[in-house]
Amino acid sequence: MDRLKIERVGGFAGFGGPHLKSRGEVALSDLSPADQKTVEQLFADPKKVAPAHPGQADAFSYRITRGAQTIEVPEHAVPSTIRNSVKDVLE
Amino acid sequence: MPCSCCIIPNDVLTKLSQDKKLSAVLRKQLVDTVQVSHELRELRTQTAKLTNVVAARAAGLVTLAAAPSVTVYDCKHTQTLPGTPVPKPKTSSDGSVKRTFNQTTKVAKFYQQVFNRNSIDDHGMTMMSSVHFGAKYNNAMWNGSQMIYGDGDGSIFVDFTRGNDVIGHELTHGVTQHSLQLAYSGDAGGLNESISDCFGAMFRQWEAKQDVKKADWLIGRDIMGPGAKKRGFTCLRDMADPAAKHCLAPQPTKYSQVTPGMDPHYASGPPNLAFYTACATLGGYSWAKIGQVWYHSLTGFGPMPNMTMKTFAARTRQGAHTLYPGDAAVFAAVDTGWKKVGL
Repeated sequence: MDRLKIERVGGFAGFGGPHLKSRGEVALSDLSPADQKTVEQLFADPKKVAPAHPGQADAFSYRITRGAQTIEVPEHAVPSTIRNSVKDVLE
Repeated sequence: MPCSCCIIPNDVLTKLSQDKKLSAVLRKQLVDTVQVSHELRELRTQTAKLTNVVAARAAGLVTLAAAPSVTVYDCKHTQTLPGTPVPKPKTSSDGSVKRTFNQTTKVAKFYQQVFNRNSIDDHGMTMMSSVHFGAKYNNAMWNGSQMIYGDGDGSIFVDFTRGNDVIGHELTHGVTQHSLQLAYSGDAGGLNESISDCFGAMFRQWEAKQDVKKADWLIGRDIMGPGAKKRGFTCLRDMADPAAKHCLAPQPTKYSQVTPGMDPHYASGPPNLAFYTACATLGGYSWAKIGQVWYHSLTGFGPMPNMTMKTFAARTRQGAHTLYPGDAAVFAAVDTGWKKVGL
């Protein structure tokens, strides 16, 4: 349960499709106390995240998996340490 | 403190600000952020209301300018928006800045000359862009009020400002926001993306004075990096052949293949193919007649956020009759396009 698996999806290029992936992993214990609490709150109620600007398009979302639970949240709600953990690759 | 905290729910920030394990400085910053966050939410709500009111009362609005101002900001590889204003972008020595200014100006000209539209909102709205967003950021987007461009990682993608279709695509998201106001999921999401691809492609063809036969119909060709090209990927999407192997993001070709929850960049495959087929069937310049039918369907009826692809198809068929009553070939071409994808 200490590790978070991250996948960045969407964007103009449509990350998350068959060839284009963006993945990363971080240990919860490596996050700052503030970021750990943010993660706790995101998993407690991912729908509570403030919506994006009306009309926004082509922004990234993040699928974050902790244990058996996966949430998908917009980029603006994700702490920078988690955002920076992903690496874009071709498959 | 990362700026992302500004949009974390206020109760989370409030709880954190009361956490004695955190430093006093950090707790004070969190209190400040709660206030900023609250104001931002209010601003966002007001922006949504304003967009709706503008759409409803557009005819009575005073136009800001006869032609829009074009502004460019430099994020200097941070994610802080809008970044530093660039005073003379037209003559900048920074290629990204200069390209963004020139191509955005040309998109404004394209909408003015071809569709008689004055900027994104049809009332002279300033076209604002930020370049060098983030570090090796593989994306370009419309954030609801401006365009944002990353530099790419230099391997999969190069600078996103290198694609004039990318610039046309992002600006068209703004046009959609100020017309149909399409949602970003389901059929409406796929249509939203497709409309941006259609107008992005039309803009690219208009700039190059290409007819439908000469055009390549590729989306993202000019932003593909050496790593992607080495693997045989020549574009992100191909409007003429959405499922092709040379597409980095291959799409479905039939409406029946669009599934619930599908990313809009994939659900846009069938309407992209319908548009291409209609253009190829009629021939000539894409923007001359089929483009006019699509524009009329996008801007002529007010907002419909949850529009289905079936409804949009019906509107374009009707639009072909309305705009070109004496030219049956236009309706036939539009009809052929939608039938090709099962609509």
